Amino acid sequence: MAVAEKKLSKKLEEIHERIKAEVPWEPLGPTPMPEIPDLRQWDMRLLKTYAPFYAPFCDLCCFCTYGKCDLTEGRRGACGIDIATQQARFVLLACLMGCSAHSAHAGHILEFLIEKHGPDKKIDLGGSINIEAPNIRTVVGLKPETLGDLQIALEYVFKEIAHLLDSCHTGQEGSALDYESKALHAGMLDHVGMEVADIAQIVGFNYPTCVADTPLVDMGWGAIDKSKPVILVSGHNPATSTVLIDYLREHNLEDQVEVCGLCCTALETTRYSDKAKIVGPLSRALFFMRAGIADVIMTDEQCIRTDTPQEAAKVGSALIASLDKAMYGLEDATEMDTDEIVRRMVDNKEQFAILDSPKAAEVAVRVAMKIAPQRKKEWLTEEEAIELAKKCTNCGMCEQVCPNLFNIGGGITEVAKGNFDLIRQQFLQCIGCGKCEEECPNNVSIFKIMQTAASMETWKCRAGRGPIMDTEIRNVGAPLTLGTIPGVIALVGCSNYPNIEDIADMVDEFARRKYIVVLTGCAAMVAGMKKDKDGLTVYEKYPPDFDGGGVVNIGSCVANAHISGAAIKIANIFAALPLRGNYEVMADYVLNRVGACGVAWGAYSQKAASIGTGFNRLGVPVVLGPHSSKYRRLFLSRKEEDDWKVMDARKREIVDTVEPAPEHLAYVCETKEKAMPMMAKLCIRRNDTPQGRAIKLNHYISLYRKYIGAGLPEDIHLFVRRDADIPLVYKKEVRAHLQEIGWQPREPIGLPTLIGTYPTKVPVDAVIH
Amino acid sequence: MSAVIPRHRVNVLTGIKSARLIEDPVEYANLIKKAKRPLLVVGPLLLASTADGKILMEYALDIAKACNIPICATAQTKGRIVELGVQPDCVYDTVEIVNALKDPDWQGVKKEGNHDLVMFFGIRSDLGNQGLSTLKHFAPHLKTMTLCKHYFPHANYSLPNFKKDTKWQEFLENLIANLKKGD
Ligand code: SF4
Ligand code: SF4
Ligand code: SF4
Repeated sequence: MAVAEKKLSKKLEEIHERIKAEVPWEPLGPTPMPEIPDLRQWDMRLLKTYAPFYAPFCDLCCFCTYGKCDLTEGRRGACGIDIATQQARFVLLACLMGCSAHSAHAGHILEFLIEKHGPDKKIDLGGSINIEAPNIRTVVGLKPETLGDLQIALEYVFKEIAHLLDSCHTGQEGSALDYESKALHAGMLDHVGMEVADIAQIVGFNYPTCVADTPLVDMGWGAIDKSKPVILVSGHNPATSTVLIDYLREHNLEDQVEVCGLCCTALETTRYSDKAKIVGPLSRALFFMRAGIADVIMTDEQCIRTDTPQEAAKVGSALIASLDKAMYGLEDATEMDTDEIVRRMVDNKEQFAILDSPKAAEVAVRVAMKIAPQRKKEWLTEEEAIELAKKCTNCGMCEQVCPNLFNIGGGITEVAKGNFDLIRQQFLQCIGCGKCEEECPNNVSIFKIMQTAASMETWKCRAGRGPIMDTEIRNVGAPLTLGTIPGVIALVGCSNYPNIEDIADMVDEFARRKYIVVLTGCAAMVAGMKKDKDGLTVYEKYPPDFDGGGVVNIGSCVANAHISGAAIKIANIFAALPLRGNYEVMADYVLNRVGACGVAWGAYSQKAASIGTGFNRLGVPVVLGPHSSKYRRLFLSRKEEDDWKVMDARKREIVDTVEPAPEHLAYVCETKEKAMPMMAKLCIRRNDTPQGRAIKLNHYISLYRKYIGAGLPEDIHLFVRRDADIPLVYKKEVRAHLQEIGWQPREPIGLPTLIGTYPTKVPVDAVIH
Repeated sequence: MSAVIPRHRVNVLTGIKSARLIEDPVEYANLIKKAKRPLLVVGPLLLASTADGKILMEYALDIAKACNIPICATAQTKGRIVELGVQPDCVYDTVEIVNALKDPDWQGVKKEGNHDLVMFFGIRSDLGNQGLSTLKHFAPHLKTMTLCKHYFPHANYSLPNFKKDTKWQEFLENLIANLKKGD
């Protein structure tokens, strides 16, 4: 025992040294740089109410050479694993891929910037942001002052990733719950990694910060002037695209060369230059590449397509792979003479990996300028589309492989008759995977035909703005925790949507109702891809402030850390709870008192899995679209059966609140119509004041009526504590209903917390501010 | 093991255990009639209409009525069901009802014990198949059945892929007729 304690303190000593514990900016909480077991009790408490729900994709496991193992009907694999634990292991792996993608991205950016500016370059996010790194401060316990400090945080993340990945090896962890705890750990680490990445980018690339009113940038292929040389940047890492903009600026070419982007690199590049244009989300990548508009395609990392070189070659676009994550088997020309690369790309149509950003940027511009005048960049006409569509026999093969399950053959058949209505509708639902065209036995050029369905309209997207300002947090802290701002809706993640227009509809619905709407990644783009009857996008219609009724583009995927960061800042700035090494207290506060709901409506990636899981550990529920049932795992409660007890920290007694608030942590909806009232419901928190609760219930009921039908939500009685909670407009009806079912009023809770309801080192006092 | 390829390939290759394919409405009707505590879970695809203007939901309501089967309305279907003059017995979303069903101690919609046969009708095939997988693996106490026009491999009993909607409608009509016949 004594030996163990001594060891522990040595370890702690090391941690203290790394996080500079002697710098007294805040008292140090119980879990700086937490390792796998350190927050496990918190996880287990969450998992008790929000139990993992598994939907296996497959009956088998094929992870090792003992297999394949049949895991049906209670069978265990040769290693002893059961089907639930195997699903959990799979989820952990997905989260680790996601977390690694962001953290490695952060590592690459940091290396690049430290090389340029040195490790002592100061972090300054502007006068209105003092809590520069809420995730790092909370999780790591370090207040990062320089780029070098960010490296300390990242080293911690890398170390934890190795331990977690180790646990996925055959024949170890035998508990699904423990794997879930590890997945939650990975998700939390992801938010640290993302925060490092975005802070480094803001500091290193001078992105705007402390400004809400960032520029409105052009979006859509219609916005791209294809008479100019066009360079398409694709992926997530702005190390090359920002250098590309620098090169154009230095050579006075910014007005002569079009730079456009796909996916998060587009968002990053428009934070650097408002002349750059956003093509669209990942779901438009293949479509846009096949249109052949880009003279040069420059890939970096994550969510780019693995067939980019082949697709580029098909339409005569030149290709440069600018990061080691995807080198496509190409010759590494990093050390090659620039003139020689340009010559070979232009004359021989060769493709190269160039891992030196300035060189890659120069080559891209020179090649684009050389080849653009020779390339034909025409959009298909309707007449041509009708001709192409005539090859379709409506055999239905395409429908069978379409992940969105729609009858694309029917759309093509209609085009052959000169009717474009159906294909236009289908284009809005298309996630751009290209499976239909690949499967077609008649080689119908489905994507080409879709050009005629793709609106040439241009839209507006507000450039991403990075962290929420501390001043904004101060202003919304009270209304949010009291419920008078009904909630924060965070629309995040990828573009695997049932319908691309759903996002704009969700933003509009909730901004109109004065929720705070924040967006990142592909969701941030597509929110702008629909106009109202006055021709305005949501970015033009609503103010850009982090306040009720505001619509805020935070930035790319890595900017998700600023959303979790904002939740932490509410606890830290508004409620004055210390955050340093104090993750459990922060998460408990967010779960019980910050009415925020994440929506990853088109989540497809492993990154989205880890982002969402990280939000879950912090106590933020996430609504997912129907495709996300394929992630295999959700966190669901059974509202009437589960444990909704909390500690009332003021009275020091455990109270059964009966309230499923929030009801689920990771939840899949089939339709937008179902999602809308669910999002409102998931913003309900136990500490809502009667006034706040009435506002929240008003939205819940009214969204339910608008999208589902007449009557009252079936579970409304669970959320009414006292008569004062009932919204005025529905008073009569709700009262009558409550009376009918024999509802009894309940005492509201002064200070609800889970601390004290499970074994933890954190004392109840720690949540009192 | 059945060699049927599902209509939607996202549902292909589920592994070891796949649904028994049944094309005979009499056999389907018998399975339903045999059930002691069946449940019909309806989804938003039933809000669409057939070529001749019948709302698909009407098939579901007819099936439920024929054997007095409780209805669980998922997604936004409740509103339409009420408009059609029926009060659904419960309202849950797909993942919620599946989550309840997988608990053997759940008392079911009628509080008479968990259901022994759960019929799914009108849920997106990818989501539906994932939910069926949950029940296949974690709810050995019940059987699942689908009524959609595509094959669902994770169910216990499924219809084949119908090339023509009219054939599927014919099946449903026959099924309803057989259910009405009684034993
Ligand atoms: S990891 Fe386990 S279950 Fe998977 S194949 Fe190997 S022995 Fe079988
Ligand atoms: S696979 Fe090809 S031919 Fe068949 S329906 Fe689809 S587009 Fe038409
Ligand atoms: S590209 Fe679009 S239409 Fe084609 S299979 Fe993929 S989602 Fe379906």
